[in-house]
Amino acid sequence: MTAQDQITTTPAIAIEHLTKRFSENTAVDDVNISVPPGSFLVLVGPSGCGKSTLLRMLAGLEPPSEGQISFGGKIVSSGASGVQTNAAARDAGLVFQSYALWPHKTVEGNIDWPLKVAGWSKQKRAERINEVLKFLGIEALRDRYPAEISGGQQQRVAIARTIGPRPGILLLDEPLSNLDAKLRVDMRSELMRIHRGTNATSVYVTHDQVEAMTMATHVAVLREGRVEQFGPPDELLLKPQTTFVATFLGTPAGNLVPVSRSEDAFVFNGINLAPNAIAPDLDTAQLLYRAQDITVGTREGRPTVKATYAESAPIAGQSMVTCLIGDLRVTAIVDGFFRAEPGTEIDLCFLRDPDAVFDADGRRVTQ
Amino acid sequence: MTGPIRQRGQIARLLQSRNLVPLIMVGITAILVIVPLLRIVQISLTPDGLAAWTDVTNSRLSPNLLWKPITNTMILGACVATGCLLLGGFLAWLVVLTDVPFRRFLGILSTLPFMIPSFAAALAWGTLFRNDRLGGQPGYFAANGISIPDWLAWGLLPTLIVLVAHYYSLAYTMIAAALSSVSADLVESAEMAGAKKSRILFGIILPVVTPALVAGGMLTFAGAVSNFAAPALLGAPVRMQTLSTRIYGMVQTGNIERGYVLALILILAAAALLFFSDRLVSGRKAFTTVTGKGARTKRFALGIWRWPLFCAAVALGMMTTVIPVLVLFASSMAEQSGGLFSNWTLHFWIGPAGTDLAQGQAGIFRDPILLGSIMTTIRLGLTVAGTTMLVGLVIAHTIVRYKGTFLGNTLSQLAFLPLFIPSIAMAAAYIAMYGTSMGPIPALYGTFTLLVLAATANLMPYAVQSGRAVLSQISSDIEESARMTGAGPIRRMTEIVLPLAVRGILAGGILVFIKIVRDLSLVVLLFSSTTPVLSMMAFNYAGLGFMQFANAITLVILVICLIASALVYLLQNKIQGWKST
Repeated sequence: MTAQDQITTTPAIAIEHLTKRFSENTAVDDVNISVPPGSFLVLVGPSGCGKSTLLRMLAGLEPPSEGQISFGGKIVSSGASGVQTNAAARDAGLVFQSYALWPHKTVEGNIDWPLKVAGWSKQKRAERINEVLKFLGIEALRDRYPAEISGGQQQRVAIARTIGPRPGILLLDEPLSNLDAKLRVDMRSELMRIHRGTNATSVYVTHDQVEAMTMATHVAVLREGRVEQFGPPDELLLKPQTTFVATFLGTPAGNLVPVSRSEDAFVFNGINLAPNAIAPDLDTAQLLYRAQDITVGTREGRPTVKATYAESAPIAGQSMVTCLIGDLRVTAIVDGFFRAEPGTEIDLCFLRDPDAVFDADGRRVTQ
Repeated sequence: MTGPIRQRGQIARLLQSRNLVPLIMVGITAILVIVPLLRIVQISLTPDGLAAWTDVTNSRLSPNLLWKPITNTMILGACVATGCLLLGGFLAWLVVLTDVPFRRFLGILSTLPFMIPSFAAALAWGTLFRNDRLGGQPGYFAANGISIPDWLAWGLLPTLIVLVAHYYSLAYTMIAAALSSVSADLVESAEMAGAKKSRILFGIILPVVTPALVAGGMLTFAGAVSNFAAPALLGAPVRMQTLSTRIYGMVQTGNIERGYVLALILILAAAALLFFSDRLVSGRKAFTTVTGKGARTKRFALGIWRWPLFCAAVALGMMTTVIPVLVLFASSMAEQSGGLFSNWTLHFWIGPAGTDLAQGQAGIFRDPILLGSIMTTIRLGLTVAGTTMLVGLVIAHTIVRYKGTFLGNTLSQLAFLPLFIPSIAMAAAYIAMYGTSMGPIPALYGTFTLLVLAATANLMPYAVQSGRAVLSQISSDIEESARMTGAGPIRRMTEIVLPLAVRGILAGGILVFIKIVRDLSLVVLLFSSTTPVLSMMAFNYAGLGFMQFANAITLVILVICLIASALVYLLQNKIQGWKST
């Protein structure tokens, strides 16, 4: 069952065959995603994967070349018919990566202006301004100008300004990327509180897979304009459909070991790792091993390979040990605190059979 | 795909509606800049024009028409560029890289001379150093018994000094900006490597600022080559001609074709020079920041030379700013240049007609023509500031938006082309283009409209540059966030973009205003109506020997520029209580 099958109500956002071509390259290529109301959809991928272009099409700032976008069953953008509902009429708000606060307006003025444009009465505006200032804890900043407040405060103002008119869809473009590490963690839970508090459906763009894994109800991993995999975060983590997803998500990310068939086994560096029965049709394959399925040392009856120790990082009472086998980088987990001289040769033991098998093109072959 | 089909496809793509604005802007810049140039080329290829080419380049007349003036022009250009680099470089080194006292004050003082029009400096020079060679009133020194040799009173040397005094601050500005981009880290890492001070200067600092030195040298060279006021006031009376004064002379005496031919030669010389200097530095742009501010600069200790060098810099600044203005002021109050500081009278400002003074002429503020020309000058400044900033903003916006496309590149090159065209040559081209009626366009010669058109074309590069600076302050995010609220284009323009742009627009506008109000080389050919602009009246009075009037009018120009700057400054502060990020 895929995530799309679970949707029974009208999806809050339905993206169908969405494509965006610029003069030479295709930034977004035949994307299909739909999520129910109240979802927190995270678009994640490396820079240049088309996630920001996708968000800008959702915001109505870019028209699609092909395909369509519907909000609550109503088509707001369509490449074929040329429908392009303007940014305001689609009931969506966008928080810009740069915050894009209007520098000549105070904090209050920044929140007030969109309401004024939307034609709210003076009294309703005043009430709503107080409400969102309080909701974001920035009442004290009311009369300040954007240049006079810190980056984290500017971010809160940008969010307050966007949620002011109560948009049904909240779009966020890498909102945490300009904050320092500690503030980023605090703001992550704050953003989830805001998401719940507004009852909006949120779309969140990031290149940070940790943000995707912690905040999302739905994740779409994008690569070169295409959706690599779409689903709930746990599904992506447990059942990655491609090697790209398997190595992009998770802390630490999974290990992929290239193997070739030798008689009845898959062999890596002359060592039998698994019986070829796991993928009887393949001559070469890539085996996915979780870091916790590899450790340092030897175990009776389990395959072991020689590796060169590179570095080790302590993580919650265990050590994340990174080694090199030729060019291949392998991460293993060891209990306790592990340390060795970099360059030392050590044994790596595969504790379990591979988690999944991928073909040479990176597609999953096991279920 | 075959060639012709592909080409037709490209043309069709160019004509799409989204390309309408850039196409219109390319059209406007072409009409303003390219068409007049083509017109003088065309005229110079008519039978009369071809005869003029022969007269100018290869005849009995050509030494006087071309070879001597072009030699003078090139000597002036080379010497002025050298002098400016030496003075500007010295000041920039002092202000940016040493611990000289009052660095900020010196920095400001060193930028001021460029604000004083070159004809003000030339008039001040004449007031002090004029001798009796041409008759008329002698200057201050000659009248007080100090004999001034001809070479110091007239010709190449005084022209050179006046031009250096005017342009060195331009070189200072560019070199100082480049020097302040040499961060302390660079210098300190050289020190850590064990390099001595001189080694650091020649091995690290000089190579980094070389592009700015080349650019500064070329701009001052181009400025000197195309300058009209200084050679016209100090050289032409003793037949020291430059290309600029020759063009003026030819057009004034009706030898129009010869004037056009000389203008073409001047344009080619200036363009070739700027083009090659650009090629020379373009490969090195990567490691220079001409406008950037370095994070932290290393300052060398001057030791006992701190105060002597400070005094030298102040003296230089005073001699090129305060003293010329004081001389002009004193002269406008003095009956004779010999008694600059005694027997002051307000006659030349407000005196009645029919007295013994000024051959019976009234003071300038009693002259209705002058009062009219104050209004004309201000009107011209305001109109040109308005038109150029409007054109500049639209072009800058189009260039940014269509960056990398064919139209965007074309527009950007067209818009900066006027930098290569000396203003007197631009004026000649405009006479060629619009001097006679052509089809629906009436003859515009001598009209206000023609001057506005020519000035807009002449100042377009500055306006586009200011426009870019203005627009770079408004990120596309800020406009898009306004678009997200549903505000229409007009509302976005008036409530978001304009409030953010207004400060920059005013700054660009005042630059254009000052440049045109004190300009002589463009207006001297184009304006011949009965209400001339102030700079032309000053020039005419100087030509007639009424130095007090010329000096007084020059002061009026300075005061107009000062008041305008002050008003803009006040306005900027008033409308922008917020601080920009």
